Amino acid sequence: MFFVTAQSQTDWVRWGKSDPDYKISVETNTKQFDFSIYTFGDIVLKPVINAYRFFISDVDGDNCPFYPTCSAFLLASVQRTNIFQGTLMFFDRFSRDTNIFEREKHYPFYGKHHFYDPVDLYTLDKDLIKVIPAATQVKETK
Amino acid sequence: MKVLLFQIIISAAVLAQNINFNSPENIRLFADFLFCDRDYLRAIDEYEKYLSYSDEDTIRFKIALAFSAIGDQYNAIKNFNSLQETSKLYQISRIEELKSLFNLKQFSQLNSKANELNQLKSDYSDIAKKIVNLSYLLNNESMPSEKIFLEPFDVQEKTIVQNFYFQKTNPDYKSEVLAGVYSAIIPGLGKIYTENYSDGITSFLLTGLFSYLAYTNFNNDHPVRAWIFTLAGAGFYAGNVYGSIASAQIFNAKINFDFINDVYSFIEEKKYFIPEYDFCK
Repeated sequence: MFFVTAQSQTDWVRWGKSDPDYKISVETNTKQFDFSIYTFGDIVLKPVINAYRFFISDVDGDNCPFYPTCSAFLLASVQRTNIFQGTLMFFDRFSRDTNIFEREKHYPFYGKHHFYDPVDLYTLDKDLIKVIPAATQVKETK
Repeated sequence: MKVLLFQIIISAAVLAQNINFNSPENIRLFADFLFCDRDYLRAIDEYEKYLSYSDEDTIRFKIALAFSAIGDQYNAIKNFNSLQETSKLYQISRIEELKSLFNLKQFSQLNSKANELNQLKSDYSDIAKKIVNLSYLLNNESMPSEKIFLEPFDVQEKTIVQNFYFQKTNPDYKSEVLAGVYSAIIPGLGKIYTENYSDGITSFLLTGLFSYLAYTNFNNDHPVRAWIFTLAGAGFYAGNVYGSIASAQIFNAKINFDFINDVYSFIEEKKYFIPEYDFCK
């Protein structure tokens, strides 16, 4: 009886269509203190971001409503573009961060407490814009 | 007691089931059951097992349908193509192939296959024309005239399809330049123009706040603080102009996304205009 039970089929659920699954690649590092310098932007930004993470962010906690967080967004946007464009992208992100209204109508969810707002949407390269409907859950691919 | 036990064992062996579950008829029955239960992957396995006994076009067609239903369009096309021209299901399989090509977004191939169907003077030429015309909505080729575009559709479909035609030829895009210029004139106006109302108001308040702080600090002889606020204010101003342009781009991408979804929902709802055939009655 035990043998039969153990060997018996358990996959009785019919394979059907599932809702679209929006998968994203892991975009940015999570608070690693990175001192590597590759570009001019790294020289200017990395000390600032490392200091911010060490003295403010670690003490203050995980309060950024977005993924990637604003500091990670700044670093990634400068790495993807240049220091000038990256800084403009950061100021725009920061003003969106300040806005607490209607976020659910604009952004998909990342995890339980974050909105997904990737750098790709703001590089002004139309080919990189991948629309994910607001209020849907995105998952990471590893 | 021993005799009774012996009798039970013997009678169990005698009465045991002697149906051959692996006979072709039973394989087919089981496959049909799985197919009708929409358990397509398992149904394909069983149908393929059945094909080794008996090669039937209906089975090949069902395998292709099952592949199409689970979204494996390449295998679906391969199986639709395996049907003989003499088969009763040949013409409908050509239309199903068009459906698979539509889903794969292989529009040039879709066009040539539809032309072949038209040359054959198939009963399904009208359906092929409908699918081809709807494919114009999703590719980047130039649209045919409205009259030609609407021709194959019946009265009920025409109103919806006409709406799609207008959306494709006159998309409700927002100008990126205009969004940037608006935000340069009044901070946040570009975002309001792209229907991000709360972001626009926030940008206006932030830029205004830092400008005011810079102004009052300059007036009260606090140059260091004043310059910090000036830099922050200038950053928010420039970032907002930049963000308005990005916001217009995202708005336009969402328009395209919604449009494509609407077209797919419509054609899905109409079941690709394919006449109903039901193997599961």
